[in-house]
Amino acid sequence: MPTPAAAKGLVRAVAVSPPTAPPVVRWAWRSARPRAKGFPWAAPTWPGGVARRAEKSTTGMEYDTAWARSYGVQLARAVVLDSVTRPVVRALADPTLEGIDRLDGLAGPVVFAANHASHADTPLLLTCLPSRFRHKLVVAAGADYFFDRRWKGHLSAFAINAIPIERVKISRRSAELPASLLADGWSLLIYPEGGRTADGWSQEHRGGAAYLATKIGVPVVPIYVEGTRRVLKKGVSIPMPASTTITFGRPIRASDGEDARRFAARIEHEVDVLADEHANGFWEARRHAAKGTTPSLRGPEHAAGWRRAWELGEGRRPAHRGPAWPPR
Amino acid sequence: MPRPGFVLDVDRSTPPTLFWHGEGFGLERLPVGSRVIYAPEPQEALDDPDEAVRHALDNPDGDSQPLRTQLFPGMRLTIAFDDISLPLPPMKRPDNRQRVIEAVLDLAARAGVDDVVLICALALHRRMTGPELRQAVGDRVYDAFAPTGRLTQHDAEDPDNLAYIGQTEQGEDVEINKRAAESDLIVYVNINLVAMDGGWKSTATGLASYRSLKHHHNVRTMLASRSFMDQHRSELHSSNWRMGKVLSDAGVKVFQIETTLNTDTFPSNFAFLQKREWEWTLKDRATFLAVSRSLDRVPARQARKIFHSIRSPHAMTGVHAGEVEAVHRLTTERVYSQQLVPVEGQTDVLTMGLPYICPYNVNSVMNPVLVMCLGLGYFFNLYRNKPLVREGGVLIMSHPTPWEFHPVHHPSYIDFFEEVLADTTDPIEIEKNYEERYATDEWYRHLYRTSYAYHGVHPFYMWYWGAHALAHLGSVIIVGGDTRAVRRLGFKPASTFRDALEMAEDVVGREPSITHLHNPPLFISDVS
Amino acid sequence: MKALVVERKPMRFAAARLAGGWEPGAGARVGPLRLAEVAEPALPGKAWHRVTPLLSGICGSDLATVDGRSSRYFEPIVSFPFVPGHEVVGRLDDGSRVVVQPALHCATRGIDPPCEWCARGVTNRCELVAFGHLEPGLQTGYCSQTGGGWGHALVAHESQIHPAPDDLDDCAAVMVEPAACAVHAARQITAAHVAVIGSGTLGLLTVAAIRHLVDPDRVLIATAKHAGQRRWARALGADVVVAPAELARAVRRATNSRVAGQQLTGGVGAVVDCVGSAQSIQQALSVVGPGGQVHLLGMPARVDVDLTGLWHREISLRGCYAYDRADFEAAFDLVRQVGLGRLVSASYPIDRYTEALDHAAHAGARGAVKIVFDLRSRTTRKARA
Repeated sequence: MPTPAAAKGLVRAVAVSPPTAPPVVRWAWRSARPRAKGFPWAAPTWPGGVARRAEKSTTGMEYDTAWARSYGVQLARAVVLDSVTRPVVRALADPTLEGIDRLDGLAGPVVFAANHASHADTPLLLTCLPSRFRHKLVVAAGADYFFDRRWKGHLSAFAINAIPIERVKISRRSAELPASLLADGWSLLIYPEGGRTADGWSQEHRGGAAYLATKIGVPVVPIYVEGTRRVLKKGVSIPMPASTTITFGRPIRASDGEDARRFAARIEHEVDVLADEHANGFWEARRHAAKGTTPSLRGPEHAAGWRRAWELGEGRRPAHRGPAWPPR
Repeated sequence: MPRPGFVLDVDRSTPPTLFWHGEGFGLERLPVGSRVIYAPEPQEALDDPDEAVRHALDNPDGDSQPLRTQLFPGMRLTIAFDDISLPLPPMKRPDNRQRVIEAVLDLAARAGVDDVVLICALALHRRMTGPELRQAVGDRVYDAFAPTGRLTQHDAEDPDNLAYIGQTEQGEDVEINKRAAESDLIVYVNINLVAMDGGWKSTATGLASYRSLKHHHNVRTMLASRSFMDQHRSELHSSNWRMGKVLSDAGVKVFQIETTLNTDTFPSNFAFLQKREWEWTLKDRATFLAVSRSLDRVPARQARKIFHSIRSPHAMTGVHAGEVEAVHRLTTERVYSQQLVPVEGQTDVLTMGLPYICPYNVNSVMNPVLVMCLGLGYFFNLYRNKPLVREGGVLIMSHPTPWEFHPVHHPSYIDFFEEVLADTTDPIEIEKNYEERYATDEWYRHLYRTSYAYHGVHPFYMWYWGAHALAHLGSVIIVGGDTRAVRRLGFKPASTFRDALEMAEDVVGREPSITHLHNPPLFISDVS
Repeated sequence: MKALVVERKPMRFAAARLAGGWEPGAGARVGPLRLAEVAEPALPGKAWHRVTPLLSGICGSDLATVDGRSSRYFEPIVSFPFVPGHEVVGRLDDGSRVVVQPALHCATRGIDPPCEWCARGVTNRCELVAFGHLEPGLQTGYCSQTGGGWGHALVAHESQIHPAPDDLDDCAAVMVEPAACAVHAARQITAAHVAVIGSGTLGLLTVAAIRHLVDPDRVLIATAKHAGQRRWARALGADVVVAPAELARAVRRATNSRVAGQQLTGGVGAVVDCVGSAQSIQQALSVVGPGGQVHLLGMPARVDVDLTGLWHREISLRGCYAYDRADFEAAFDLVRQVGLGRLVSASYPIDRYTEALDHAAHAGARGAVKIVFDLRSRTTRKARA
């Protein structure tokens, strides 16, 4: 056992002074030392006189996720989902499922449209969806966020089977891939708000989910997720345990003559109803819906931002039932 | 859209530059301020080459009728085609010759022509082997014509099968293959790889005898061709054109079909060869390292075998048919559009890497005489207007230049190297003192006619090919060559590129301007 | 007196053969040759004279002996222990300089009447070199009784002695004996095209002899391995000098011949093989024309050669040993005329014999031609480069 001083000396010998170090150390130094090797071992430098050519992008919308849908990767993802994601989700969020029976008899492909408050939404839903959907599901993820770096793209595509979409506007290109996947029998999880809520109130639904569902002719399942904002809200990086609830709605289809914009509004309304049902119970929610007084998840329109935040705390059922863990 | 060629000014952030070195390559750092000329990128291939060929046959250029109207039952039809020296490296099947010959034969069959003979227009080159012919004309043509002896190879030394046509106004004898001369129509199928090929040179050289060839394959003509890649300033071409006139005046009818290729020269596993170094991807770098490392380890013979098995992905970019001169004008334009790179001003020192192949060593050994011919004959002459290197400048070439000859293909080269070059390297002296003896040597004649040997006089032509460069240059340095062989060539051997530059300074002075010819692929410098 | 002596020691011959096979000339260190103090040879009879060698050459056959490569053929016609050295210029007791013609023929052996050949004056073909009152020995330098050039004294019969003219210095005079061999060969040649294989001393002398003594118009092609040899061959009169591997092509060009396999269809009228190896003999047979002659001037040993071509093309393979008196006289003229003394490249005292023999064995590669022992002083002298 070398004394600390001797060990320190050895370290210094290896790190600093090879010529005076013992031969063995010198040899180790020589073989381990990184050698300065230029081109072609290293990437070439670019001559000053030559204009750079725009490189073909492989990130954002151009990221190719096909590999993540191959059988082997799917299998690996299922293993990770069941053995890693699920226990973590259970420990942090402990979701209560409401209305899951509404999906009975439904077969894919389906567009799942949920409100979006947190990064926790996706793992939560992935672990709670019936397995016939779970393993044949892609998640629409913002190309600008989830695919802006190649490594992030790899990670998103692998972990949640994400596909890049443009969140701001729906372009033909953005819709091409999810449409073709839906047509291929894949279900799609999409957050029609286009991003996580910043203040707790929802944002207006964009037309993507409705457009895809009408185009391919698949049903949309509205989903209301409650409580994930307490687990991991936007801007927070450490998740806190909190209870969550997922409320599934009845699958809806666009009626004849209903365009994507109107259908999108209907989906938004259905999610509002589910939120109402979660807060006030099924009967109350039905009555509100019939009277047209379902509270909107978008919250009241107040000029001052603080009153919106205030009402978020006031108008809702005190949902904070405390963390699921540690048990009281 | 392929990018045009361009001239790079080397600065401190320019990565090392690729140099061919025979059956291998290396990276050399060029001094700051040097220029590197990069070839234009390969042009788009024709979508449907076969359809393009058919279209060309029906819509000939110049004063010519569509081929189908020139074919009639009972006629004698001769189809002549370029030999193994084109293209380089040999192209993937189907070869342009196969496509064109099949289209011509289709028409001939429809017209009821029975007497068809194919002639490989090899002039004084070696005969092609069966597999080589098969590669060029394709299986269908080969199997239909070879067994009955109707797929023939031109023999410039067969007195019974040569026809003397006449003399040009300058007293040049015109003598070509008898079967071709006596045919009702010669269809010549050409591949135009460089601007030198094609035109009247196809018939007047490819099908000619030694007696006829020596009028333009000599030192005087070569010194008067500036360069022979530019037919308007090439005495070689003027002579061939004069001979062409004699041929057409004598009633020899030629239907010329010329095809052009893009410069997509190497298959994808050698893609880095044709790329600009700073655009090399990780894959390019990895393949470069893997290939060059493994080439260092395999014996030269094995490396040669690997390289000569490469089949080029060259693709047809154009085809023209009809009257010789009109067709050749269009062809030349197309070749120029692929290969021309404008370059400003000459240079003191021109550097180049020489590859493993030249027109005369397909499936063979690149011997020292061919090294000279490729460097000083071909690459030096790939210019328009004026040479890339100034008069009295230095040419630095990189090639292993082994003292090695293919005993079957190049027998007279061995004697040329051992006897003639040991005596003198001056083309005029060589022509005066030695050419005739080699040209009339019965043994060489026998090997040329019955074996697979280049004609006895062929090494002389190789040396004449470089005559213009020899007269123009102040010094020639070969990097990494066999010292004795390089000296025998009359050049200076250098062990490293850096040494070569130092040696060059002795000739052209301090801080010379340096220009590097980056190949592959081939290109022509338009020097202003 | 001090002399280099070869003794009959089979183990040492075997060792020399091994060492010499590994590195030519290395047999000198382990072989049968050693520097010894021996008694001066006694005069065997009245017609004999004592000769004090001045310069004594190292010949290819001497190297073969030293390296244990010589054939057992010689066993009955040499007598041990002998002092080698048969290229000798020396001084008689009366002070006059002489060149020794070394063959020990009938006259020297006191055989009377002489054998048929000696009677005709062709003493190099003497039948009785192992008989008579002298111990066996084909030449001075292989006989235990006469001494040899590599020692400080030898005895020579008066028929062996040629006075050295004053205009020939020692270097020129020591070249007379080998030049006589070349003259002897050159006089046999009548062909218009001649190839000489090998540009060692014998090869170069043969080139000189053919060019200067016989018909100057014939085409002379020589092979030379080393650059120095090439220069000498050209200087001494070869028309074409080529590397050994290039000979067949050079001959083909010169004779306008064709090739069938490895064999020229035509070829030169005569080849002088100055090497004597299996390879050189085979090469000679492949470049000599039908009915031509191959002269073996280099001493061969046991060789493995395909003689089918010799049979089919009626080629004569002809040995070429030594000379007669007339050849020897002519050699004086040749040496004088061409200045062959220049070929002596270096001299060594005999006590540095290992160096000398090593130099001689690598003469061509080291740019030298003839290496000699200098016996003019009994003290050690520095080698002349």
